[in-house]
This record gives sequence, C-alpha cells and structure tokens, in this order.
Amino acid sequence: MAPYLWKLLPILLVFGGVLGIVPLLVFLERKICALIQDRLGPNRVGILGPDSPLEILGIKTGEKRFLGGLMQPLADAIKLIAKEDIIPPHVEKYLFEFAPFFALLPPFLAFAVIPVGAPLMIDGKEMPLVVADVGVGFLWILAVASLSAYGVALGGWASNNKYALLGGIRATAQMISYEIGLGMALLAVAMQYQSVEPVQIVKQQVEGGFLGWGVFHQPLAFLLFTICAFAENNRLPFDLPECEAELVGGYHTEYSSMKFGMFFQGEYIAMLTMGGLLATLFLGGWHYPGYAALSASDSGFVQIVAVVLSLVSFGIKTMGFVLFSMWVRWTLPRFRYDQLMNLGWKVIVPVALFNIVLTAMLNIH
Amino acid sequence: MAGGHGHDSHGHAETATATPPIPEGAFLAPGNTEMTWVEKLYLPEIMKGLGNTFTHLFHKTFTVDYDGTQRDDPRKFHIPREGYRGEHYLKKDEAGHVKCVACFMCAAACPAECIHIEAEAVPADWQDRERYPKRFEIDLLRCIYCGMCEEACPVDAIALSTTYNVVADQREAKVYNREKLLHRGEELGISLTKHHYRPDGIPGHVPEKKAGGH
Repeated sequence: MAPYLWKLLPILLVFGGVLGIVPLLVFLERKICALIQDRLGPNRVGILGPDSPLEILGIKTGEKRFLGGLMQPLADAIKLIAKEDIIPPHVEKYLFEFAPFFALLPPFLAFAVIPVGAPLMIDGKEMPLVVADVGVGFLWILAVASLSAYGVALGGWASNNKYALLGGIRATAQMISYEIGLGMALLAVAMQYQSVEPVQIVKQQVEGGFLGWGVFHQPLAFLLFTICAFAENNRLPFDLPECEAELVGGYHTEYSSMKFGMFFQGEYIAMLTMGGLLATLFLGGWHYPGYAALSASDSGFVQIVAVVLSLVSFGIKTMGFVLFSMWVRWTLPRFRYDQLMNLGWKVIVPVALFNIVLTAMLNIH
Repeated sequence: MAGGHGHDSHGHAETATATPPIPEGAFLAPGNTEMTWVEKLYLPEIMKGLGNTFTHLFHKTFTVDYDGTQRDDPRKFHIPREGYRGEHYLKKDEAGHVKCVACFMCAAACPAECIHIEAEAVPADWQDRERYPKRFEIDLLRCIYCGMCEEACPVDAIALSTTYNVVADQREAKVYNREKLLHRGEELGISLTKHHYRPDGIPGHVPEKKAGGH
C-alpha cells in the first residue's frame, strides 16, 4: 500500500473516534450527574427492550431493557436535527449562522497534532499515528483552540441579545486570562523536553518509561494545565460564558436545533482535545508500562498488538480527563466573575512564572 | 467554595466598601468563618468535595425506576396513604345497579362545577328509589380533587380512589362518563364498600374489600 494511504489511518482514527465518542460522553455526563445527585439518570432508551431503536423500527426485542439509557443520545440527536431551526429576526444573520461552525471546528483541528498511538513501521520507516506532525507542535493547539473563543463571542454578539452578548464577552475575557496561564504552564513543559512537538515529547517520555511521564517531572505545570483546561473548555467551575443561572444560556441563548447541537458538540470535542493534550504532555501520551517489551518482539502480530494497546492506553487517559471534568462539574459550584479573574491573574500566572524559573534552574545542562 | 465571606474581606481589604471585620465572639454560621490558609489553597477542599461526590456514585438512589408496572413493590410504585383523594369512581349496589339516586347533592357541592348529571325515572323493576342518573359525567380536567362530592353523597355512591396516575392523550378522555366511572370502581375491586347504606338509612351488606386500597 502506498505510504500516503497509510496517512488515512490516523485521520480516520481521530475523526471517527472523536465524533463517535461524543454521544457516549453526553450519556456519561447525564449518568454521572444523576448518580452524584443520587438519581437514576437516563435509563429508558436502551440497546434492547422497550423504547430501544430496534423496537421503534418494529423489531420485537423482549420486555427487559438492556443498557437502558445508552441510546438516549441517539434520540437526542434525532430530536435536535428534526427540530425547527429558528433564526430570530433581530440577529446578524451571517455571523449567527457562522458561529456554531467556528465553535465546532477548532477543537477538531487542534486534535490534528496529537499522536493517538504508537508509531507504525512502514517500509522500514517510522510513521507516527498523528494527523499532522507539524513543527510548531502544541503551539498549533494553543493557536487553534483560542479561535473557538471566536465562535462563542461571535455567537453571543450576533444574537443581538443582552444575555448572549454578556456570555460572549465573558468568554473572551476568560479566554485571555486563562490562555496566558495555559501557555506559561506549557512553556515549562517545552523547556523540560526542549521541544514543542507532541511526537517528540511523547518519544522522550516513552524512553523514560513509566517514571518518564511528564506529570512526574512537571507536577506544577500539570496542575496549572488542568485548571486552565477547565477554563479553556468553559466547563464548571469556570462556565461563566454559559452560566444558565444568571445568563439564561449565555452565548447560545438564541440558538436552537442543530446549531445549538453544534455548540454542544464543540464543547465535548474540546474536552476530548484537552484530555488528549493532557495525556500527551503529562501522562506519556499513548505509552503504557510494558510497551518496550512488546514492541521489541520480532513477531509482527505482537507489534500490532502493541500498537492497538497504545491506542487503548491513549483513549483511557483521554477519557480519564473527560470523566474527571464531569466529576468536577457536579462537585464544585461556579466561580464568581471577579474570583475567576483573581484566580487567573493573581494565582495561576505567578505560579506559572515561578514554575518556569524553577524548570530553568533544574534543567541546566 | 467554602467560606466565600472570608475570601471577600481579604480581596477588598483596601477599598472603602470593605466588609467590617468579624467581631470577637460573634455568632458565625457554619462555613461563614475566616478561612484558614489551607482552605485558601482551595485544592484540599476541592479534594474533600470530590471525595464526597465520589461516595455518592455508590449511594442508593432516591428516585426509582418507575415504569408503572411494578405495583406490588412500594419502592417502585408509590402507594398513597388511605384517604388520598385520586380518581373518582361510582359504586354499585347488590343488584348490580348504580347506587347513585341522582339527587344532585354532589353537583351542588362541587366547587369546580365539574359534575354533570341528568336524572331519569328508574325502570319499573327497581324498587328502592325513584330516580337514577341517565348521564353522569365528571370532568377531571376541572376537578380539584377536594372530595366534597364524596362527603355530600347521601347514599355513598361516589368516592375517590387512591389512583393518582390519571393520564390521557386526549382531553375528551379525561371526561369520565357513568360507565367509565362504574368500570373504574369494578377494576379497583372496590365497587362495594363497607358503608353500604340503603336509601332508607338501614346499613346493608359489608364486603371484605377495604375501601381505597390496592
């Protein structure tokens, strides 16, 4: 097979994987929320049994529900697509139409530089399982991820609604204050590994084995990154742009149907992207203990198993972050706006600066 | 965030609108105390909170898997206390006739005016009364479930059951006619009740079934 055809593999993995997992995340979010609040959560639309998609198609599947609730996102998706797409008369029409795409696209693009699995050996050449192995590395992620603030801000402004506008403005202000902390936390990581390319960073972590994982070398950056990732994704405790308690729905107040669905989807994809970045920089990327032994094997089959396990390992780490952010969401209340700014400028930025100095002192070669 | 008050007073210490310091010995509501430096770090407190919510993942849920079929399980199907005022039903006498004598007492007592009765002279073979309801309708959409009809009835013909899940997909279906009301009583197995008064005031047959129970 031609080498450029192999290039399709990571593209399909990332695109299919990310898109396919979003409905599962919606289900998990609702279920975790319910369990933390001592409720049952979605438990009707299952794979088999009453209310299941098969049953609706007319295939009898028995009385007992199997994995009830798991198919709920499918029902939600059909509902979202089938609903009337209302464009209020007072909106800036083009930007209003455009904003959801801008919220959905950047997280997808950002995922392009994250290696999702161990490199494949093709014709004696190593091919990393990454969509685009670009030299600017995670700077690409920072650049593209900040574009998603445009989606939120444009959506808020184009809605011509005071709540939506406030949400949009909050998003931009929040993005500025937290992106600096995020960038500085990553700067220390770049200093540690002497590289900004995720593929190289993962390689160095793999060479160091389990204890080579970034979290053991940059614990402070790990902590700061985690906090800033929440703010970057507009997740609780930093979901001020949305803030349903005081801003109705924030920037997506005026959106309906699948346009709202796209904002929604964008939020979950952004979570996955941040989880992927966190795993790549701090948790050894696709690395798992025992990879060295498996990949050293002569058997081609074992090597393929090693690659598949690396995909699983990366998936578990990414999902771990996503589940953690759901857990945090249903634990912590929302920050007040001034508290959020205080935390960003007066705590995160100084601590990140301190971390940079510390890293510089500890890494004199 | 625990102790937001303490954080405020710290944050605005320089401004004119600063919160006054908490006087010595003042009563402090729990959680409204000055934060210690460990609490100001947030992270240990966040960990505590996360630990708390994590245990809830394994708690018994307060809500139940209600699908309306498991009527025997009190955890799966709410059984109201006796005397709960739910869906109405009409009772029958031993002859199998509707007990109602079409006296209009319930319709007069009804504050929502949801009972509509048309009276008719009884057939020749009914010995015990003069009139019976040709039409007896209760509009459950108007009904406020106050139970006044049950109290007003001199022959104990109408009663409220404990059935609370009264649903319909059309408005018309929520207007119960005489047959429907009689049928509901039969379905519930309580069409005859212990206080079975004849129009002449003599207590009659007392069946075993308890009123209002499932």
